[in-house]
Amino acid sequence: MENTFSVGLKNNIAPQQEYLLQGSIVDLHRDVLLHRLRGLCDNADKQPETFSDHEMVFVLRGATAQQNPVLFRVRRSLDPPDDPSWHIRYLGTSEIGDKNRHTLVRACFDVACSNNVVKFLNEMGFRSDHEYCVKGYFFHKGRMKVTVSKIYRMVQTGTPDGNTQEAMTQSSLVELSVVAPAGQEQIADDMKNFAEQLKPLVQLEKVDQKRLSVQ
Amino acid sequence: MGVVCVYFYPVPEGKSGQQVVDGIQKQIELLGAVKTGNFCVDCETFQAGSGIQNTPQRQVNILHSSEQPASCFAILDTGTCLVADALFDGLMQKLKHYYQQRKGSKIESKGQRYEYGDFIFKVGSVSQASNFKGILVEIEYCPCVVAGDCMNLMKEMSQSLLGSAVAEQQSSFLKTKTDMIYTPADTMSQYLEHFNNFKKATSVNQAMNR
Repeated sequence: MENTFSVGLKNNIAPQQEYLLQGSIVDLHRDVLLHRLRGLCDNADKQPETFSDHEMVFVLRGATAQQNPVLFRVRRSLDPPDDPSWHIRYLGTSEIGDKNRHTLVRACFDVACSNNVVKFLNEMGFRSDHEYCVKGYFFHKGRMKVTVSKIYRMVQTGTPDGNTQEAMTQSSLVELSVVAPAGQEQIADDMKNFAEQLKPLVQLEKVDQKRLSVQ
Repeated sequence: MGVVCVYFYPVPEGKSGQQVVDGIQKQIELLGAVKTGNFCVDCETFQAGSGIQNTPQRQVNILHSSEQPASCFAILDTGTCLVADALFDGLMQKLKHYYQQRKGSKIESKGQRYEYGDFIFKVGSVSQASNFKGILVEIEYCPCVVAGDCMNLMKEMSQSLLGSAVAEQQSSFLKTKTDMIYTPADTMSQYLEHFNNFKKATSVNQAMNR
């Protein structure tokens, strides 16, 4: 029997690439943006959906320097806190591409999993690298996903309650993304058109992450 | 989804695997069970290379079952079982520099699926690299989710269907889980236990033939 994943790959329906645009907005003007997004996105008649996630980044390192470390991001939802849903996310190196490509493209596997994932990864040899909380609003338009969120530093590790978090900045991160099967380049055009409609409130761009990590 | 028992059914000398499978299927059909298609459970083994910092060399077994087609079960040699989306196979590919798939390790049990009232029967021929290894029969009692509550009923059913010698075996795994809620991950752990026994038996046979 062929497994579901290989069938998905063969027919090119397995979502494995993320198209991404990023920007930021100062907290003072965030509500204007939320209002705008509510009008532009699906389900305009409902209050925007909120989310509150705890992300733990695990790294698998080789004994030698030649082996590239692999990062898995484990996320769980903090609301409702008694029944969190967990998932593992793998993100590849992002490609900036040329001028003709309007978004960042990176490999992306988003895999829902059971709640013993932390134990599982530790036993596999992964070690916790860093963690943070993300809280904010979530919109979607068709298959495009827009999040307006703030990142919080955790003062105490492992216990993400309200008292032990401090906001990293005075602004919110705005992300527009689609996770799709390989080779669906036309999504980037849809995303660019959508991003145009949010100007001048927020400027969504391809952010070169290599430049951010080299300091 | 109920409680599942997976039994190893020995092939007597002088008979082929197919003959025994036909015999069991005939028995099930005589009972009045209805054929409901095929099933397949497969398992691939990934072995850690020497290159992971501060960790003993672990083994990850990736199992799939046609009964849960959107899921993937990853069981470590420590016994920890992670249940994830089928896309988890993609994550294993990303770890290929650390965990390598063992060549020829893929082992699967496949065959006919039957329904009989509250019971589901699956008669599987186990093969590894297209070599026949043995027979596994799965009996599921759907209305119950706690193994301890229906163990005697299961035993009775397996006795009448497979004979008392086969019904006597109870997975060591299931014994420790009698009062917990039963999940599909427990079924996969039972299959893995049997698959490992088949692999062990092969290596013992090979050693004896040398």
